[in-house]
Amino acid sequence: MFIGRDLDRVDALEKVLGTAEFAHDLRMEGMLFACVVRSAKPHALLAGIEVQGAYAVPGVLRVVSYKDIPGQNTYGALRKDQPFLASQRVRYVGEPILIVIGENEAVAREGAARVRIDYGEIDAVLDPAGSGKGHALIVDAGNVLAYKKLRKGDVEKGFAESDVVVAHTYETTWIDHAFLETEAGIGYVDEGGRIVIRSSTQNIHYKRAEIARLLAMPEERIRVIQATTGGGFGGKLDVTVEGFLALAAYLLKRPVFMRYTREESFLSNTKRHPLSIEYTTGARSDGVLTAVKVNITGDTGPYASYGDAVCLRAAVHATGPYEVANVWADSKLFTTNGPVSGAMRGFGVPQLAFAHESQLDEVAALLGIDPLDIRIKNGLKRGSITATGQVLSASAGFVETLKKLEPFWRARKKRKAGSGFGLGCMYYGIGNTGVANPARALVELGEGGKVILHTGACEIGQGSDTVLLQVLLETLGTARSDVLLDRGDTDTSKDAGSSSASRQTYVSGKAVQEAALGLRTLLDKAGYYRGRSLVDIYCAMKDGGRLLFDGFFNPPATGLDEATGQGVPYATYAFATHMTEVEVEESTGACRVKHVYAAHDVGKGINPKGIRGQICGGVAMGIGLALMEEFIPGKTASFDTYYIPTSMDMPRVDVFLVEDEEPTGPFGAKGVGEPALIPQAASVVNAIRDAAGVAVYELPCHVERLKGLMEKKKMTG
Amino acid sequence: MLPQFSYVAARNKQEALSSLASLTGAALLAGGTDLLVRMQKGETHRYVIDLGGVAELAGVTEEDGTLRIGGGTTHGRIAIHPTVRRTCASLASACSLVGSPQIRNMGTLGGNLVNASPAADSIAPLLVHDAVVTLESMDGERAETLSRFIAGPYRTTIGNREILTSVKVETLDGYHEGYRRIARRAGWAISRLSLAWALRDADGIFTDVRIAVGSCTPVPFRPRSAEAFLIGKGRKKPVVEEAVKMVLDEIRRIAGMRPSFAYKLPVVRDLLLSVLGGGACS
Repeated sequence: MFIGRDLDRVDALEKVLGTAEFAHDLRMEGMLFACVVRSAKPHALLAGIEVQGAYAVPGVLRVVSYKDIPGQNTYGALRKDQPFLASQRVRYVGEPILIVIGENEAVAREGAARVRIDYGEIDAVLDPAGSGKGHALIVDAGNVLAYKKLRKGDVEKGFAESDVVVAHTYETTWIDHAFLETEAGIGYVDEGGRIVIRSSTQNIHYKRAEIARLLAMPEERIRVIQATTGGGFGGKLDVTVEGFLALAAYLLKRPVFMRYTREESFLSNTKRHPLSIEYTTGARSDGVLTAVKVNITGDTGPYASYGDAVCLRAAVHATGPYEVANVWADSKLFTTNGPVSGAMRGFGVPQLAFAHESQLDEVAALLGIDPLDIRIKNGLKRGSITATGQVLSASAGFVETLKKLEPFWRARKKRKAGSGFGLGCMYYGIGNTGVANPARALVELGEGGKVILHTGACEIGQGSDTVLLQVLLETLGTARSDVLLDRGDTDTSKDAGSSSASRQTYVSGKAVQEAALGLRTLLDKAGYYRGRSLVDIYCAMKDGGRLLFDGFFNPPATGLDEATGQGVPYATYAFATHMTEVEVEESTGACRVKHVYAAHDVGKGINPKGIRGQICGGVAMGIGLALMEEFIPGKTASFDTYYIPTSMDMPRVDVFLVEDEEPTGPFGAKGVGEPALIPQAASVVNAIRDAAGVAVYELPCHVERLKGLMEKKKMTG
Repeated sequence: MLPQFSYVAARNKQEALSSLASLTGAALLAGGTDLLVRMQKGETHRYVIDLGGVAELAGVTEEDGTLRIGGGTTHGRIAIHPTVRRTCASLASACSLVGSPQIRNMGTLGGNLVNASPAADSIAPLLVHDAVVTLESMDGERAETLSRFIAGPYRTTIGNREILTSVKVETLDGYHEGYRRIARRAGWAISRLSLAWALRDADGIFTDVRIAVGSCTPVPFRPRSAEAFLIGKGRKKPVVEEAVKMVLDEIRRIAGMRPSFAYKLPVVRDLLLSVLGGGACS
């Protein structure tokens, strides 16, 4: 009844009316403003800091340094290696050093501008290849952050059996999340003396734990609430404003607000990892892939952030959604004094998709096989063995996504000179790689007979609020007006994990279903399904204590073998195929994306309209990745020079759903958040090859680069 | 955040001119799409005189083959103005491509010219139309050709007490006219390169050729020698190729060799070959 329906987003009305309180909108009586003093150097010792200038600004109340931190001055999702405030040394441009707190924003920023910092500069390590070989240590542990291996079969044997071998190196660069709302939040001390943070975030329980460590307080003394959040894409997984706000509120006992300017966000936020991918593919003359060898190296910046996860996920997904008997992948991330790279929509997989899809088109061309046919021939399906040796036992609708687009592909026709079509495919493991990533959810029958969903899953624009409510409504069989949503408060919810890795529909969805089944059993016994009202049941039972039901789901996965990367890294995978039509203008190198056909195996489409929204957004972001987005450290400062697509760059998008239901998911659902993006850039690149006859090995393929490739082709014939 | 300043809202041209004459350290706000960005980055002015309320500065009139466009006319207005679209199509097209809708609704022609960015969209079409700017101050009025007025990148001959009140444009009837800009995305982008042109021919013989190249040399320019070379000649491939070569030589003569020319020169070449060869270029 509620599954597969285009229920209106529960947050639509207040966002349309402008009444939603985003983090930037938060205000409190007597609130102060904080801003951060950041490093101007990529690598330096802090030789001297003079704060008198800041204190000379009337209204500046306090300049906070690492010395004011009562607890641990480090945080990190995977390794606790990043300082909240630098102590002796800074390792990237934009690293926080001090917090300046003033009566208002102007005063705080003026104060921050008047702090004087003397740097003792150290040689900066900016080249990841040099970082690995060099002796200049950025962090004591050495300059290799992560090294992951994947070994399946015997690649040398696989190449020996092949009739064609294609080898190329693919390069990608830093990408900013470019969420609409920059990092912002408010911190205060409540009546009970607890520290409360409301912020723009993708996770609340993780941040509560980090703040507890920072302040050396028990977690119960910290409360984190998610404000309405204007986008995340992985950029609000790491601690951003939360630590500074907690520290400021703790020290001054007054509400403190902060918001990053766009320039500050560009400077300080994590980026998509620039990867260099050496990719070799072997295939038999009939099109069967015999071997894939991939060597991935990347720049991760000075701190770990989500580097380990990106490193591993890139290796695990190296072959793309194809069954290859012999696979060898090495994935290494090096520490540098560049920007901190971290989580960004896809954790390394969009970069790999660019490589494996380009490779496949070249293999197909060499063998004279249609690009669609070679994908169908090698595509993962039920019973296939993935690169990590996992047998896909259910929900593997990849070939069906290809078949959905087959009529359009076969009927494609170049409308004019410069028209071209390309395919891009992907698979993506839902949830974190090879580690436990559980979610909990609470469902309560509360006052007035209302069913309340308490969830810690952060709604970041992706639609989780609506999807989780649909799961609840379907499970209980109640009306929309019977349920209330209580989301994103560590005081009222249990840990649902982060809104990342395309996991909330699948993991939190299942936890909500489990909790709702508990309530359903109670309602059934109490006669709800025979006509008794929720109010009646509530009034009759409330004296026995809160009617609260706990749901829990941890996707069944195993860790991966360190030496071979073999194992079951994910419980389930999403699959997708995008077909893109472009028009390339030979005179200028301009590439316009005209039409995208997107087919996704989502297990079960809980809210098809929401999925379409996610896919249109992913298409836009993928066009940016393919054609224009490029963060250049030291140069890119704002949207003035960092181009993301506008509505004028958007093609027509047709969405097709494949529903190969996932038995462990809620009503068969998987996820679509990152899959929406991952194949898009790859399909644009393949369409450019079809349109202009040039191969693109470096992104973004902006007008200059594309024109250059076409000029070179003209010169060499 | 903006630095502090005193705000003066001029209600008419006289008030604007007298404010500008009497106030020291005043900047003119003619839309603000450049001024406010610079002030946001720290540029300071004691006074900001807003011309937005001065009706006399906005609007388009036509008489005797001349179009007079008020300095305060927004890009958005120019882009949709029927007379401009008919008699000065390249300018209408250029104005329709400036920035975003919001920028086009705020930014003005006068502001665009006085800012004199090498990438300003309006300059190349106005050069094609031999535009003349009118500058007024309390001391009187003077006129100057646009090509003289733009003295260098972000530099003009405007005086401290002067306002660019209007632009006079020669209307061109019977010309094939157009504007093309290249940027990294379809809209809301700075031009990497722009080209305006107005061509007239009789029986395949060029009777007039006007070309302006923007975002390439320090200031947008007209390759006069190539234009003169083409007049009287037939629209033939070798002729056009020779003219294009002259344009490229002229660019290199003006600007030397820049890294960006690896991209820009082949694009100028291909666009001009298409335009002069009679092909579509959009």
